[in-house]
Amino acid sequence: MKNLFVAAAAAISIAASAVAVQAQDWTPPGPIKLMIAFAAGGGADTQARLIATELENRLGWEFIPEQVTGKGGVNLLNEMKDQPNDGTVIGMIVAESLGYNLYTADIGLTPENFTAITTTAGTQMGIVAGAATGWTSFEDMVAAAKGGQEIRFGVMSQRLGELAYLVGKAQGIDLNIISVKGGRAVLNGVTAGDMDVGFMAGIQAPGVKAGDLVNLASGMAKPLDQTPDAPTLPDLGVDFDGAAIFMFAGPAGMPDDARNAIASAIAEVTSDPETEVGALIARAFGGPLTIQGAELDAMVARDFAESEALIKAASE
Amino acid sequence: MDVLAYIWLGIQAVFLGPEAFSILGIPVSITVMMVLCGFLFGIVVGATPGLAGPFAMAISLPILISIFGYSPDALLPVMGFLIGIMKGATIGGAVPAILFNTPGTPDAFMTTLDGFPMAQKGQAKKALRVAHFSSASGDTFSDIVLFVCAPFLAIIVEAYLDLPEKTGLLILSLSFIAAVIGGSAGKGLISIGLGLLAVYVGTGEDFYPRLSLGADGLSRGFPITTAVLGVLIIGAVFKELEEAWRNTQRTTPVQAPVESGDQNLHWADIKRLFPFIARSAFIGTAIGALPGVGSTLAATLGYTVGRARHQKIRAADAPRFGEGAPEGIAATEAANSAVSGANLIPVLSLGIPGNAAAVFLILAAESIGGFNPGPAVFRFSPDVVNPELVIAFGLFTCMTIANLFNWTIGGVFMRSMGFMINIPKTLLLPAVLLLTLTAIYVQETRIEAIWFALGFGVLGYFMRVLGISPLPFVIAFILGRSLEETARQAYSATGNDPFFLLNNPIALIFVLMSVAVILFAGRKPKGTAP
Repeated sequence: MKNLFVAAAAAISIAASAVAVQAQDWTPPGPIKLMIAFAAGGGADTQARLIATELENRLGWEFIPEQVTGKGGVNLLNEMKDQPNDGTVIGMIVAESLGYNLYTADIGLTPENFTAITTTAGTQMGIVAGAATGWTSFEDMVAAAKGGQEIRFGVMSQRLGELAYLVGKAQGIDLNIISVKGGRAVLNGVTAGDMDVGFMAGIQAPGVKAGDLVNLASGMAKPLDQTPDAPTLPDLGVDFDGAAIFMFAGPAGMPDDARNAIASAIAEVTSDPETEVGALIARAFGGPLTIQGAELDAMVARDFAESEALIKAASE
Repeated sequence: MDVLAYIWLGIQAVFLGPEAFSILGIPVSITVMMVLCGFLFGIVVGATPGLAGPFAMAISLPILISIFGYSPDALLPVMGFLIGIMKGATIGGAVPAILFNTPGTPDAFMTTLDGFPMAQKGQAKKALRVAHFSSASGDTFSDIVLFVCAPFLAIIVEAYLDLPEKTGLLILSLSFIAAVIGGSAGKGLISIGLGLLAVYVGTGEDFYPRLSLGADGLSRGFPITTAVLGVLIIGAVFKELEEAWRNTQRTTPVQAPVESGDQNLHWADIKRLFPFIARSAFIGTAIGALPGVGSTLAATLGYTVGRARHQKIRAADAPRFGEGAPEGIAATEAANSAVSGANLIPVLSLGIPGNAAAVFLILAAESIGGFNPGPAVFRFSPDVVNPELVIAFGLFTCMTIANLFNWTIGGVFMRSMGFMINIPKTLLLPAVLLLTLTAIYVQETRIEAIWFALGFGVLGYFMRVLGISPLPFVIAFILGRSLEETARQAYSATGNDPFFLLNNPIALIFVLMSVAVILFAGRKPKGTAP
């Protein structure tokens, strides 16, 4: 019996080390071009650059970060599709880039043209109002709108614009939806009073804590960590999820050893709260979110397919 | 968090930032070192005829970014260096103007009128001392006005201007810049129009890359570095090269004039010069606060006002303006130096750059990220620290440090820069061209960027040949995106009202003022033939 355990343990450890060896076996054939779909200096850009720095320190891989912004990550995807798929070109995007944004861009590309590598973190997407509005709950906003007040709703992507429209429709109110570039612009707009309310992906946390901002509702299908009592999107009558999920992808047909090595290396640093990037993710994005392999492929395919349903719902 | 706490945080951000080295256990922050290096470099550049502050800023910016990276920690060292250059170049420009009758920077032209005659009379050192004292005084006054006015203006803008009004304000700024830069409203509008056309390539809300003609290289638009450096720097290099090619090169080195007599600046001199400095500092600051009106106009105006005053009170044996009057140098230098600080008022409070130096500060902020010059910077959020506001006060601290350097070591260093006149343009211009192209490639890392930059360089060259100022082009390129975004947002915010500019009283006033400014500037002066 004891021998059996020893044998099993040995087998497991050999299998485990085989995985580890496989991961370590692959080294990039050259410097890795890291395309970043977010404006320099923001939280997402910082996350990407810190991951690169940490991997350079740990594994000696060399990264060349490059900003390829615009069109919700579609510019990046369009530029990445013809690049070498040996693991020397990867891009940091949001899941929405491969889903709704790629679908609506209608440039003949699908998730099949890319290799999804790993997700790093989700966001705490909330529907957030400024304290100056005097609203403390979502009902307050609905009541104000029904009382004739014009409500300005800031969004930072087209998909969130559709969701905001659906929220208004489900609640029977009109919203003036203002599209801006990046989450900080929504925060600034709400703080300055140019907008009454808006989607914010975690950037609202310190302001909510201080009482300058109010989480009226969750922008996701699940409750917010910070304000668990606020209603979720399904509670408001919208059966979609507004959470943004950060992820890495590469060109189509990336060999499995490269894909797995990069995925596990990234997951290792993002889930380690001791690293700078791990601390950032824990602080700003509510902790790491690691989805890889077949599960990630399924998620990306589902997001792409669901986009049609979302557009249909919003155009009815 | 009250105002004082923010000011204190800004000062700390400069002095307690990453340290360069320590002397006797006292750490010297890298930001302070960068301000010093930028300041000294600026004096050298200003003292070199054919180079000016914007050249130095353009070349250093990408190099600095590649050293300091894209983290918010990089903002203060990089922008501190640029501020140092801006201030150094202003006083450096007076050196060749006084010693050799060759202005180092365009706005130092008026300095030659009295500076060179003084040098010929053997009073070169004294003239340089007058220039330095006046320049440093004007600069300091202007900075104080900036520190006080920018936050208040920003808060007023945020409190009273809604999205349609902000759109109107941007349109007014562009019209004003078109009208005042370059002397012809028509040419200014052409320059603005070309800038807007260029920035709208490949941008916009739609997934289809606008105006890209189906070309992949254009689908991401023109990087801001290529447009700004191409038109401003490469275009200028092309133009200068053409002039150098046409003129025969000076072969013998220029000799410094002989000195004689008392070279010191006495208390009595300062007392005599002070009214001229004060008047010019005020003029320079007022002009600098208007976007687009440059230091050359400030210098001309300061000089003219100073001359009128001087004729009334002049002692019988004192030299007239133009014959070597120290008052003339003081009036010019105080005015053109007072522009630099006040020029940042529209940048920091509205996000609207008024001159080339401000363009590069905005470029630095945009490239590094984490700081977006504009009214949102001055949000005094009570509970959460607003990092942009800390950076803004950090910048004010950098300017104060640069002024301290200016008062202490600026004069000595400036007076030793006379030899820069002997650097031939035939060496200087190719070096600038090569450095600029390298700098662009360092930042953009794709070869199209070089082609774009050279293309914009050719555009800048032809604009100069045709007498169209390239500065409105650059400012339009920088403001184009926020103009479009603000207009789109104003349209949505007003419930899709296409006439949002006309239905809001303040916005309507701004639009009418824009039209008036163009009509007024385009009107022919009385008495000229059609």
